[in-house]
Amino acid sequence: MLEINNLHASVGGKEILKGLNLRIAAGEIHALMGRNGAGKSTLSAVLTGNPAYTVTEGTVTFNGKDLLAMTPDERANEGLFLSFQYPVEIPGVSMVNFLKAAVNAKRQYQGLEPLSASDFLKLKREKEKLLAVTSGMQNRSVNEGFSGGEKKKNEVFQMAMLQPSLAILDETDSGLDVDALRIVADGFNKIRTPEMSAIIITHYQRMLDYIRPDFVHVLYDGRIVETGDATLAQEIDERGFDWIEDKYKA
Amino acid sequence: MESTLLRDIRNEAMELTVGAGEQKHLVLLSPENGTLRIRQLRGSQLTLHVLSLSDADSQIQITVAQDESDCRTELYGLAFTRGKQVVDLETHVLHNVGGGVSCQLFKNVLADESRASFYGELKVQPDAQKTEAFQTNRNILLSTQAKMRTRPQLEIYADDVKCSHGATTGQLDKNALFYLQQRGIPLQEARRLLLQAFFEEVIATLPDEALQEEVREQINKRLNR
Repeated sequence: MLEINNLHASVGGKEILKGLNLRIAAGEIHALMGRNGAGKSTLSAVLTGNPAYTVTEGTVTFNGKDLLAMTPDERANEGLFLSFQYPVEIPGVSMVNFLKAAVNAKRQYQGLEPLSASDFLKLKREKEKLLAVTSGMQNRSVNEGFSGGEKKKNEVFQMAMLQPSLAILDETDSGLDVDALRIVADGFNKIRTPEMSAIIITHYQRMLDYIRPDFVHVLYDGRIVETGDATLAQEIDERGFDWIEDKYKA
Repeated sequence: MESTLLRDIRNEAMELTVGAGEQKHLVLLSPENGTLRIRQLRGSQLTLHVLSLSDADSQIQITVAQDESDCRTELYGLAFTRGKQVVDLETHVLHNVGGGVSCQLFKNVLADESRASFYGELKVQPDAQKTEAFQTNRNILLSTQAKMRTRPQLEIYADDVKCSHGATTGQLDKNALFYLQQRGIPLQEARRLLLQAFFEEVIATLPDEALQEEVREQINKRLNR
């Protein structure tokens, strides 16, 4: 479903990704671990089309299409979703209008009729029930006044509403206490379908206790240098990254 | 409060007195050239909206003098300039006597190579004690060629007062734009949502819902061109 070949990317004139390769099939959960600066967030920025980042070499295909040729909204409509590490607050843009615009943009892209106001509310209530959340949405602006945990829960809620085929969770566990982490992971597991894939970017093993990865990759100096299964994450938790990085230091 | 809608102001010089205890609301819809001088008498209330949503160049000067005590003045405005348009707004709010309150909120969005300016004189005389006066000007530039000139000019001679002013000029929040796009909303639509949100603070102060809707529509039309 996602195929990344020899990806080189830079930000602010500095090269961060230096030939990254990754293949993700439908339904697979891939964890991406590595130190700060290794390129984890750069990868999610490049995949989602953040204009601050430049791809200098390499290809990315998503469902057989050239992902890098698409605008950020086209990538989203194709089924790519990013749960941001720091979701931005957008005062004055109502949560409801925003979500309705997003849902209907995807539907339009797929050649479907937009949802009426009442159908949208039905969908919203259905997802609220699924995730066992109460709607705090009325009259609120996007993420305005939300705590860190609430923002992360809101990311998962948006994921439920948009039902992506590839979700990138960018350090979803950062800044969350254990309970909030549990809630976010449970939410993700409830939305998951057999065809849905995910890239879980994380520093810590904890998140992977709740969302079991099929593959664990270690990112070092802009490349994936090691791939294993869930036990690799355990080993990193016990031994850190040094033992891996030492193998690849120049 | 009843609103008086004034359209097609071209080369007009208007004078107005808001009498003791009176309330007046004026809405200037896309005025072109005009001077408006208003006197406020004891305990009166003035609300004024300047909404610049046409393609015309515009030079507007508004002077409000609180000549008697305990008056309230609220001045609001928005402008969405395009092409090579030039829109200049000058306000002079004069607290000549004490106990008065004034607040000003002007929001501008400048596209293409348009220019706008805001000159906000706020004068509080030595005997105008217990004055509360606030002035805010917020501007968004949609292109590198657009130019905003903002000059708050406060002269406060009384010492028992509360006065503040703020002026900022910037761009649409890049992080907010990207967030919206990552949720599938195309760039043009994302811009529209953010611009609507920006102007909403002023639109919400219009007392008439039908007028609010008309203003929102005009903003949409100007954005889509």
